[in-house]
Amino acid sequence: MRMLDLMRAIEQQPYAAAIAHSQWLFPMFEIAHVLALTLVVGSVAMIDLRLLGIGNRERSVTELMGSVLPWTWGAFAVAATFGLLLFSSKAATYYVNLPFRIKMICMGLAALNMLIFHGLLERDVATWDRGIPPLRVRIAGGISLALWIVIVAAGRWIGFTT
Amino acid sequence: MIQHLCDWLSATWLSQAFGNADWFVPAVQTVHILAIAALVTMLVMMHVRVLGLMRRAPPLQRLAAGYLPWVWCALGVLFVTGVLLTITEPGRELLNPSFRIKMLLVAVLIALTLVLQAGLRRDPQFWSVSPRRRGLGGAIALGSLLLCVGIIAAGRLIAYV
Repeated sequence: MRMLDLMRAIEQQPYAAAIAHSQWLFPMFEIAHVLALTLVVGSVAMIDLRLLGIGNRERSVTELMGSVLPWTWGAFAVAATFGLLLFSSKAATYYVNLPFRIKMICMGLAALNMLIFHGLLERDVATWDRGIPPLRVRIAGGISLALWIVIVAAGRWIGFTT
Repeated sequence: MIQHLCDWLSATWLSQAFGNADWFVPAVQTVHILAIAALVTMLVMMHVRVLGLMRRAPPLQRLAAGYLPWVWCALGVLFVTGVLLTITEPGRELLNPSFRIKMLLVAVLIALTLVLQAGLRRDPQFWSVSPRRRGLGGAIALGSLLLCVGIIAAGRLIAYV
């Protein structure tokens, strides 16, 4: 219950109330969120497909990640900022919304998967940089791809349930 | 006339069946968004390379050889899912000014992508041989990026207009 009180307090912040009461702020922020998330999902999928040994096979994993990941993080910062603003406008509604919770859990799992990849699996990248990565790396790539598909689906589902 | 088309479409068995399944529109929209993500990301990667913003990446002709077939594939998925959504809610799309603007921008983006591809087919260095070509390539890249922004914005605004 205390969490729900916190959500209501967020909704009452002047900036959150301004978004909720404006006719065009919510759609404008939504456009910025969608623009950024297409780049996040597209670039993450590009790397995941390379890790799976399916796409971009002529490029080394380190070269691909080096040129793509800065764009992923830049776009993620934009998507998260506008996502947070959208969330604030109806915090209590989203907090209890099932698709929203599924989306947040999947984003947490994707973050964990990424930490495992960068912390453990990437250590011997030199041995599979130019070829097809070992099974454990392909599994991490597959998990990431599946999670991001669920994140998009759950995100879209939020709009139909709030 | 378009009103008649909408009335006829929404009365069809298919439109009713799609509309009665609650999961249908969000599921098809999800596939539509995933295809937009794939297409826009590939276009952005190519066009920022043209504009010289991603120097570590392979040259344009190599990126284009890898990405363009998938760009057209993604466009096919977008067309099919778009048609399914239009069959389900014809009035929401066909009578919507934002939808019409989106279709116009899509047509221009397809034309620019075909021009880019035609140049590369004639000569892999086509867009970098002279300052004039580089300027033209840069204009196409910048135009395409702005069109992507416009298309996504117009697409999202269909729900509000």
